[in-house]
Order: sequence, then C-alpha cells, then structure tokens
Amino acid sequence: MKDNKLITLGIETSCDETSAAVILEEREVLSNVIASQIKVHQAFGGVVPEIASRHHLNNINPVIDSALKEADITLRDVDLIGVTSGPGLVGALLIGLATAKSMAYVLKKPLIGVHHIQGHISAVYIEHKELEPPFLALVVSGGHTSIVDVTDYNKYEVLGHTRDDAAGEAFDKVARVLGLGYPGGPLIDEAAKKGNPHAVEFKRVFLEKDSLDFSFSGIKTGVLNYLNTQKLKGAQLNVNDTAASFQLAVMEVLTAKTIVAAKRTKRDKIVIAGGVAANSLLRQMMKDECERKGFDLYFPSPILCTDNAAMIGCAACYKYKSGLVDNLFLDAYPNKAL
Amino acid sequence: MNILAIETTGAAASVALINEKGEVSVEISDQKMNHLQNLMPMIDILLKKRELSIDDIGCVAVSEGPGSFTGIRIGVASARAIAQALEIKTIGAPTLKSFLYHANDYKGIICPIFDARRNQVYSGAYQWIRDEHPGKSKNESPCRKEVQASYRELVIGDAYDLPQLLEKLKTILLKESNVSTALEITFFGDGIISYKEQIIDWQNASLNDNIRVLFANDKIRLQNASSVARLALEYYRQGRMKSLYDLKPVYMRKAEAERKLEEKS
Repeated sequence: MKDNKLITLGIETSCDETSAAVILEEREVLSNVIASQIKVHQAFGGVVPEIASRHHLNNINPVIDSALKEADITLRDVDLIGVTSGPGLVGALLIGLATAKSMAYVLKKPLIGVHHIQGHISAVYIEHKELEPPFLALVVSGGHTSIVDVTDYNKYEVLGHTRDDAAGEAFDKVARVLGLGYPGGPLIDEAAKKGNPHAVEFKRVFLEKDSLDFSFSGIKTGVLNYLNTQKLKGAQLNVNDTAASFQLAVMEVLTAKTIVAAKRTKRDKIVIAGGVAANSLLRQMMKDECERKGFDLYFPSPILCTDNAAMIGCAACYKYKSGLVDNLFLDAYPNKAL
Repeated sequence: MNILAIETTGAAASVALINEKGEVSVEISDQKMNHLQNLMPMIDILLKKRELSIDDIGCVAVSEGPGSFTGIRIGVASARAIAQALEIKTIGAPTLKSFLYHANDYKGIICPIFDARRNQVYSGAYQWIRDEHPGKSKNESPCRKEVQASYRELVIGDAYDLPQLLEKLKTILLKESNVSTALEITFFGDGIISYKEQIIDWQNASLNDNIRVLFANDKIRLQNASSVARLALEYYRQGRMKSLYDLKPVYMRKAEAERKLEEKS
C-alpha cells in the first residue's frame, strides 16, 4: 500500500518483450520497464520461441528489480501480482507465470492471471482517465486482430476476429518479402510515407456480408503475386509504393469493420489498442472516420501500444476489485479466448 | 536451516526439503509435464507436511539442467523468484551429477543418460570414492565423516552422440577393469528407453566379461528432487551458494534456430 492505495506488480512475457510494471490503484503507472528482444530476433527475421524463452529468463528478475526501484518500493510493498496467462508463446508465458506464482506464494499476496487482449484494452485507461466502459475496441497486433464489445471492466464480447493471420503478422511477412526487415509494422509505416497508396490495388477482403471477422492471408499472397508479376515483366519494384498500397488495403478493412461494429452495438466510444494501433495511417483514418461519424476515439501512446506490463497491472487491479483472483494452480493458456 | 530443492528437468516434477542434518522429505508429482501448474502447490504441500512455512527456507536449490528446456526454465525461474522474494541465496545443482545420490553406497560407475533426440544424449559418468585405507583415519577424528563426500567425474556432463559416449565409457571401463576385478556400470535416465538395445549391443561387442552393465529400475531411474537436495546440501557445506542473478540454466545445447543460423554463415 502507498497512501492507502493498492500497489500492483504487473508482469508480461507473452511474446518478445520482457516487462514489469508497478501500478497504483487501477490507472496510475509508477514504473513500466520493458526489455525488448527485437534486436535478438532480427537475425532470424521473426520471433524464435526458444530464443525468446531463453531471453525472458535472463531478463525477468533484473526487469522486476528496475520496475520496483523506479517506483521506489520493495517487493514487500506489493499488494497483488498480475501476470499475462495467455494467449501467447507458451514457453515465453511460463517465465512470467512461474515468477509471478512463486512471488505471490512467498509474499502471500493475491495472484491474478490476465488475458493479453484485456491487457491491451486496459492500456487505454492509463492515459484516458475519463474513459469508462461501455465502448467498442479494435485490438490489433502481431498476434491478434479482434473487434471487442467492452460492456464492463471485466465483461467482453468478441464480435469478430481474424480467421488466419493477424494484421501485424501480415505486416511482418510483407516487410520480409519487400526486403524491409523485421519488425514489419514500423518499417512499412515509414516506407509507406514515401509511397503512393493507390499505385497498386490490392484486394480488400471483407468476407461475408455482415461479418466482423478478418482475413489477411490473402493480401499477403496478393503482394507476393504482384512481386512475381513485376519480376516476370522485368519491371523495377517500387518498394515504397507497394508498402503504401498494402498498408492502405489493410487499414481500410480494419477501419470500415470497426465503424460498422460500433454502429451495430450503438457504442459512441471507440478504442484502438495493440501494436498496430501505433500505425500512423490507422490512427489518421480512424480519427477522420470517427470525426465524420460522431464517435469519440481513444488510443494509447505508442509505448503503451506495444506489449507492456503496465496494461497487465491495470487489468489485474480491475479484476482483483471484482473478486477475480486465481490460485496457485494458474497455468499458461497459449490459445485462450477472451 | 532448510534448503528447498526443485527438480523440473524431467517428465515428473518433484520438490524436496533437506535440513543441515541431511534429513530429506520429498513430494513427487503424479502428472507428467505439468510442472508450471503443479510446482507451487507441491511446495505448499511439502512445507505443510513438515510443519514449516516458506519463510523457514534459508536457501533454494534447483536442478539446473540439462533436460527439458522448458522444464529447466520453470525450475530456474521459480527458484530465482522465491530467492528474490525471500532475499536468500540459491544453489544450482547439476542435474546429471545429482544421480550420484540416487545410489549413495554404490561402488560402480553411475551414468545418467537423457534422451536429447537427434541420436544424442545428455550424459556424464560419476563414481563415489571410498576410503581404501580404513585404519588410517577412521577413529582419529569423528568429524571426518561429515567432511564433504568425495566422488570423481569420469565423463564430463555434456551432450554426446551416443557412439561417442559409449567409446569414452569403453576406454574408461577397460582401463578400470584391469585395476578392479569386478566392475559395474549402471545407466539411469529416460535415455534407457530409446538406447537400451544399442547399449547392450555395445556391451556384447566391446566389453570384457568381467564388466557388468546394468539399467536402473523404474523406481530410481529418473530425476528426483531428493538427490538434488542432497547434492545441494553438499554444495551448501562447501559454501557454493550464489546470488539469484548468477543462477543460470544449463541447457548444454544451443537453440535449433541459432545452430542453423551458424551453419549457414
């Protein structure tokens, strides 16, 4: 406790960021330390699960120490521990979970497993103190693309999700074939700024009428086919134009479906969260659309878009206050539904 | 002073407590490969049986590997977090070496083999050294018995191609069999399942008749936290505790992707 307020230690290790954070009550971030493994995985062109797990284990304890130090507290001051329990890479998740479970047991404090998507949504609360449910959320990252109706802090209804690749995954794959490197999101965003988004018309996949699901594997194939055609023609490939055209195709689908979902659920607030919510075109398009259609739009600053433990701590505190506490049998759930 | 020992490198997890007198109690999971879920509840049960609390633990030891990569990480992460929250030291116990304590009174060679796939095993060979001159020191100082146990490492713990390991063992066994009349080697570990036949063929083809090759029975074949605890107590007496930040997993093998990347370049 600090000034009579609950202190939550948040831990996140679901993919390639090792993160620990200290949160005061639900929304005040005292520290949010993130050890990124991007450089480690660049050599492999993507996240290698075994290597990610090894680095999480190397990083986890020093990262927790830094988070405590920055918040100017010790482990004994912590009132509850929140940890991502899924979805994610199982070998990565279990580093955070084994650590959180052991600490909760020793400190005799409540342990709260947090769904990664609930974490991403909670990231928006941190910077928008006035935001309260209900609202409509688009959670879009390297591992997820979901439209979620958030009816209360711990009540969610998934209205649609990707049937194949996540949007961020498509960005990584397209960046690789364009020779831009890894991670794809920021690299395509940058290249697209220098290109013509109408140079190539990639097919927008909307699936069945009324569906709020997504499919991004087709557009990735579309880009590959386009590259091959250009090669056969002996034409020079314009990487920036291709990146810009691909990006626009993805963002049009994301924006359109989110607006449709918000209208359907009669929500007046829209939240975008997850790694791809840092994309400059998505932010701009959503801003324009929301302004035109009369929705309030909320999104986190880029650092809270990436995987981080502050959002996990925030979500854990909301769960704790609703009495949603886990026991020592908490496990990793790599494919957990929200 | 109590040491908590964690063993999660094999199929079944176990935890043990040992005090300075060397009294051990152990809790073994009846589930396979469910370490993350079961480890803390098992520790809780074990402590309650001994009427202790986690705060009574003075040092936490872990079977550091080799073995299942995931299992090693669950053990090391848990041991480190316990040490971090309790502000105590840790001990990294080499998993292969812990098999010495599976057979305290055994005179033969102890050889754990863990299936590492790709026709490889994680293995090492160890042997207790007995006092060959009992008259010399036995009654002079009664404390002598408490002095550190003594053993030798005949094959250094590492990842080996099976034929490479058997060749090393053959050289040692043939040399040793000239010295002692009856020589025994006992294999432990889950590698027995995959490699028993190859080992028997090797015995028939390359060893003398006075060398006996045995396979540990099911009950003592696999990793066990009680042996980890005994080895940890020995390390504790030698002052070989370390900070949690120095407690490292011992994989003995690179990640597959890393190996392939190096092969390419």
